[in-house]
Formats: sequence, structure tokens, C-alpha cells
Amino acid sequence: MRKLYKAISTSALAAIFIVLIIVVGIAAYYAGTMAGAPTTITQTVTQTVTSTVTVTTTVAASPTPTTTPSPTTTPSPSPTTTPSPSPTPTYKPPRKKIAVVYDIGGRGDLSFNDMAYLGGSRAAKDFGLELVEVQSKTEADYLPNLRSLARTGEYLVIVAVGFLMTDAVKQVADEYPDQLFAIIDGYIPDKPNVLSVLFKEHEGSALVGALAGMVAHYFNCSAVGVVLGMEIPVLYKFEAGYYWGIRYGEEIYKEYTGKEIKPLNVLWTYTGAFNDPARGKTATEAQLAQGACIVYNVAGATGLGIFEAVEEAGKAQGRDMGPPFAIGVDSDQDWIKPGFIIASMMKRVDVGVYTAVQRALDYYAGKLDKYGGVLELGLKEGGVGISKLEDLETFLAIAEQAGRKVNKTEIIEKVKKMRESIPAWIWEEVDKLAEKLKTTPDVAVWGLKFSDIEKMIPLDANEIKQIREKLGVPAG
Amino acid sequence: MGSLSSLKGKLVLLKGTLEKLVEIIFAIIVGFVIAGLMMYMGGFDPIKAYAAMFETSLSLTDPYYIAMTLSFATPVMLTALTFAIGVRAGLFNIGAEGQMYMGALGAVIVASWTLPGPLYLPLAFIVGSLLAAAWGLIAGLLKVLRGVNEVVSTIMLNWIAFWIVEYARVYVYPNPIDASKTISMPPPGRLPLLIRGTELSVSFIIAIITVFIVYYLLWHMVLGYEIRATGLNPTAARYGGINPKKTMLWAFIIGGIAAGLAGVSEITGRPPSYAITTGLSNLFGYGFDGIAVSLIGANHPLGIIPAAIFIGALSAGSRGMQTTAGVPLEMVKAVQGIIVWALAMPGLIRLIRRRMIRRRGVEL
Repeated sequence: MRKLYKAISTSALAAIFIVLIIVVGIAAYYAGTMAGAPTTITQTVTQTVTSTVTVTTTVAASPTPTTTPSPTTTPSPSPTTTPSPSPTPTYKPPRKKIAVVYDIGGRGDLSFNDMAYLGGSRAAKDFGLELVEVQSKTEADYLPNLRSLARTGEYLVIVAVGFLMTDAVKQVADEYPDQLFAIIDGYIPDKPNVLSVLFKEHEGSALVGALAGMVAHYFNCSAVGVVLGMEIPVLYKFEAGYYWGIRYGEEIYKEYTGKEIKPLNVLWTYTGAFNDPARGKTATEAQLAQGACIVYNVAGATGLGIFEAVEEAGKAQGRDMGPPFAIGVDSDQDWIKPGFIIASMMKRVDVGVYTAVQRALDYYAGKLDKYGGVLELGLKEGGVGISKLEDLETFLAIAEQAGRKVNKTEIIEKVKKMRESIPAWIWEEVDKLAEKLKTTPDVAVWGLKFSDIEKMIPLDANEIKQIREKLGVPAG
Repeated sequence: MGSLSSLKGKLVLLKGTLEKLVEIIFAIIVGFVIAGLMMYMGGFDPIKAYAAMFETSLSLTDPYYIAMTLSFATPVMLTALTFAIGVRAGLFNIGAEGQMYMGALGAVIVASWTLPGPLYLPLAFIVGSLLAAAWGLIAGLLKVLRGVNEVVSTIMLNWIAFWIVEYARVYVYPNPIDASKTISMPPPGRLPLLIRGTELSVSFIIAIITVFIVYYLLWHMVLGYEIRATGLNPTAARYGGINPKKTMLWAFIIGGIAAGLAGVSEITGRPPSYAITTGLSNLFGYGFDGIAVSLIGANHPLGIIPAAIFIGALSAGSRGMQTTAGVPLEMVKAVQGIIVWALAMPGLIRLIRRRMIRRRGVEL
């Protein structure tokens, strides 16, 4: 009996310990809400609970969209443009749910995955569907996640968010031919039930690259940098576009000012992770120490560390505004560290997810005879672009819904001031480049035409090496 | 008289098992209730969440989910053995994580060779487990020769292994088509699936066999007796003619082999990639989960089997909790963490208490 008593007392001790941990956790949570910084768990909780509300409020808060373009045809200026005209209330789809499967990074990155959620929740609201989200803990979760969704037969379309799920989607698409899939960033061209949504990240990256090139010379910096996540081919497109843009910006700067300039030193670092802000911070600090004054974030949630490092470096020099600057990615991240993020390369994953859902609906309604294929979204289609001051308000509303306390007017003021500290002609040149790339991508710098890069896509490790070499970027 | 004393022995054994069972049931209830309360406070329906969890892990109506559970149980079963053998030898070997990485690397090295088809599997298992055993041996030698605490050395070796394997993934064995992973094991080197359309492969059977081999070794072989004697009291073991240093080294080697098998079976038996993926994202964490499994299973090989299946069920059930009950993964992980904590706690406390008692004894 004594032993039995001892066993129970040990368990009881464990229980008390756990209760203590939880009490501390809850106390921390309430302390956090008072201070305006809720923990990750509660953030997600609020997001999930208020998901339907989120959409309505952001639509209400969006800056007066006058047109109602469908995301497939026209570039939509904000992610909360009013519902596209295609959903017909009379038609009822056979499957009432859509699923969004995230890879390991998951929600809360304020970029890639949160944008996918945004697109999914907008589509769910506009088309009267239920959105189901699934995250992956490890790589081993991809296949079970996709299979367990597909085998229910309840889902109109299953959207896999991220290149890393390519193999798993390929396999499950073969096993469940009646299930429609979409994959963001993955290239699966030959299956009738898979839509591959690709973005022309090189186009958007060229724009921020040009901006970086010009601004760096304007502030007499010797280097610019980019901090990347895991080394996957998708990121090579960012790299190639960015390097090309930097050299293009330098040419323009030379032409405009008539000054002789020394080509910028271009630094790049793969951190190996999309969810590790600490590593992003270390990598950025190293680049700043080597003279970089603009660092491009191509690293998902790892990038949050880039912003921190840049802000700290600026504040250490007594500035409340860059240089140094960071460049945001995927969503409009200019608000995260206002004054230190010069612009963002917006990759409209939300448009991609929304389009996939719409396409699936059209296919079920008989409007399309073929669902599968490759959908490429670039500057022309509004799939990528550089953030404008006007985008800020919309994304601030999203951030508020994600549980961030933000002071809108102050942030907008600060970002406006920062943008005005850069000569207007630089911004105009970036816009001009955007127009150029939409129509005639044959512009050449350092003997490399932009269309040449385009032709090489999908890029592999060897091709990015060649591009780096051609554009005078050190091999690493 | 003899029959009476044997009956008495059996009764004592039965009572011990009963006590253990009561403890486990109590811990499970505590874990589920506390985690349920947390979900309730977060605004979710705990009953619905638990129901969804069981539906997508242990539901008897759908073999797919049972297969998924067993497939997730496979690697942690093997890495749990590493920790359990260590505990039996009086060691706190938490190096299963790094040893598993090395095992996986061994399998990938074999995958890079051009070989006749049937040779891939045996060679992958041999090279992988040898590499992992060698990795475990480093910590063992440091402990035996220089007295380095194995907790510190194995933690550090885990990270060294991580970066070695990550380096090999990027620069030595990258996949020419897809830089996010290593070259894949060619089809003849892959373990066949037990059920088509699932993730469950023959690696599960390999894991079970390994568990029984380790059980036999620990309780029916001289080496196992020496390991256990060393773990109970190294001084007494030495007095009894056992070389505790040698047995400790063996414990590290055998543990390394078990962890290596986990790494190899993930590469040869887990669809769809059959490779090491970027950031070791298909391996990361199995070694540490193995510690929890071992503690739940009372550091006994036969206890590890149900414990691993339980952890596998939690992993598999995370899908249902997300899709049916709408609980986000962060909350799912917290729930799993609390349940595992509650289950592992008694074992951990007992382990620490025993260590403290022994230390005090040594001081005296």
C-alpha cells in the first residue's frame, strides 16, 4: 500500500507542477494583453475564432475600392478589394469546404503563410465556403495531412502552401484523382487535378533591387545584402531578380546624377530556416558590419530578426529612420518597423489562393473544361509588386486583426516621412522599371538581359551561380 | 514450500504491475483533464477535440489512421531504446537525436552509390547504424576516458551532428533536381509499405524486432546483466568483477545502433521523399520525443512499445484536432506537451530521486 500511495503522490506532485506552469502561463498571457503583446497561442486563437469577422471588418476598413476587379484578370490594388463578380448565389458547389495546408513555418509569420490564410478566408467568405486550416509540424506530416483531407471527399480544393510539399502533392494527387489540389510555389505541370500557382518573384525582386541600388548610392554605402531562408529553387528567383535590379539601379543612378560610382558589394546569406528570427538577426548583423545599408528579407518569419537588427543598428546611431534599411517580403511589411523598412516586395499569395479556389468552383460549375496546369502571376497580373504608401492602411488592418496593437496614424506618418527622405526621382525610376518589365523585359545590364533570366527559370544551383558571376556577386 | 514462495513472488510482481498501471491511468487522466481545461479556456471544445484526436489516430473503423499512428510510433520507439539502455547503465544519454541524424546520413551515403538493387537495404542499415554507433561512442569515450558528463557531451554532439548532416545535404549529397533535399534512396533500397496508400512500412516491424532483441539482451544475456548491474551500482558491479567502463561503452554503442536504425528507417521507409530534407525537417525532434517515450514506458523495452504507439497516436491525432475541432497546431502541441509531461513526470521524478540518493550515498 505504501508503494501505491507513493506512486499516486508522485503523480500528484507532477500534476501540481503542471498546474503551476499553466497558472504562470495564464498570468503571463494576461500580463501580455495588458502590455499589448499577446502570446502566439492566443494570437492564433483570436484569429481562428474571429476569422469570419476579420474579413468583414477589413473589407469595411479598406480604402474605398472603386473598381471590383477579379484577381485573375486585373491587378488588384489591395487584398481586400470587394468580392469579385463571378460568385453566383444560385449555384451551389458540391463540396462546401476548402482546406489550406501550411508547411513547417506556419501561421504568424506576417508574410507568406499569413497571406495564404488571407486569400483562403477571403475566398471562403466570398463564395460561402468553410475554411479548414492544417499546419505541419515536420516534413513527415505533409503526406498524412494531405491524405487525411483528400480521403474525406469533403473538400472543393486542397491548397498546399509551399514548395516543400511538391512531392507529397504529386503522390496524393495520383491517389485521389477526383480531388482538386493547388500548390503555391510548386511546379507540377502534368496533372489534371493539380493547379500550380507560381509567382514571378524575379520581377518584384528586380524592383526592390533597383530601389536598393539607387538608395545605397544615395547614402554612399559600399554594400547591399539579402538574407534568405532555406535554400530552395524558389528563392533563386528572388536572388536573380534582386541582383539584376541592383545593377540596373546603379546604371540609372549613374545616368541621372552623372557621377562615377563604384559597383556595390552584394552580400547574401542562406540561414537555412524560415522560422528562426534569431538566425536572421545574426546574419543581418554580419552583413551590416560589412558595410551593407539595405538588407532584403527573403526568409519568412526569420526575417522578423532582420528587421530587428536593422532597427537596432539605426537606433544605435541615434536615428529613428534608416539607413540602414530592410526590405520586406510577401506582404506589405513596411509597418513592422516603421522608418526602417524602405519598401516590401509583395508576393500576393492571397491572390494565388483565391484564384485557385475560384478556378475550382468554375471547374465544378462547368465553366472550365480543364482545372490543372500552371498559373504564373507576375507584375502584369498583380501577383507581385512593390509596396506603396496606400497599401499600408490595408495591411495595418490585417495586423490589428492578428492581435497586434498598432498606432495607425503614427505609423503612416513615419513611413511617409521616410519615403519623402528619398528623392522622388528614385521612386519614379522604380515605377518606370515596373512598366518596362511588364512590356519589354529585354532590358540588359552588365550584359544580362532580364528576359535571359526569365528564360532560365526554373533556376537550379548551377544557373544561379552563373547569374551571380555575371552580375558581379561573390560566390559565397 | 517452493511453490508457495514462487506464488508469493508472482503476487509481488502482480502488485508492482498493478501499481504501475494505477499510476499511468492516474497520469493520463490528469494530463487529459488539464490539457482539456486549457483548451476550454482557449475557447475550444475539449470533448470534440479529443474525439477528433482518437478518430484520426486509433479509430478501429479506419485502418489508414491506425497505420499512420504506427508509422509515427516507429522512429520514437527506436530512439526511446537509446535512452532506455542508457538509463539501465546509469547514463543519461540524450544523444539519440544526433545519432539518428548520423544514421540517416549513412543511408544517404549508401543511396549515392551505384550498387546492384538488393544490396542497398542491407548496406544502408549497416553503414547507418555503424555511423550512429560511432557517434554514440564519442560521447562514451569522453565519459569513460575523461569523465565528461554525458548530458553535456551528447547535447553538444547533437548539434555537431545536425550541422555535419546539414552540410552534407547542401554540399556533398544534394539532389540535382531539387536542392531542398539530398539524393533519394533509389526504389530498390526502399522498404516496402505494409499497407498500400499509407505511410506504414516494414520499418515498423524492424523496430518491434529491435525492441525484443534489446529486451533479450538486457534480461537474458551476460552483457545485459552487466549493464543493469552497472546502472544499479557501479561500485558494487566492479566489486562483482564487472568492468563498468566497458559496459558503459557498450551501452553507448547499442544505443547508437538503435538511434541509427531510426534514422535509416526514416530514409528507407518514409514516403514520399526518401531523403534528408532541408533543415533536417523530416528527422528533427524524434530523438527528443524518444526520451519522453522511454520515460513513459518506464525505461523498459516492452513498456516502450505501447508508449511509442501512444505518442504516435498523439502525432497522428493532431490532424483531426485541426480539421474537425479547429484547434490550431500551436494549441495541439501544447495539449500534447501537457499529456506527455503528465505521463513522463513520475518516471522522471523517480529517476532524479534515485540519482540523488545515489549521490548522497557516494558522499557518505
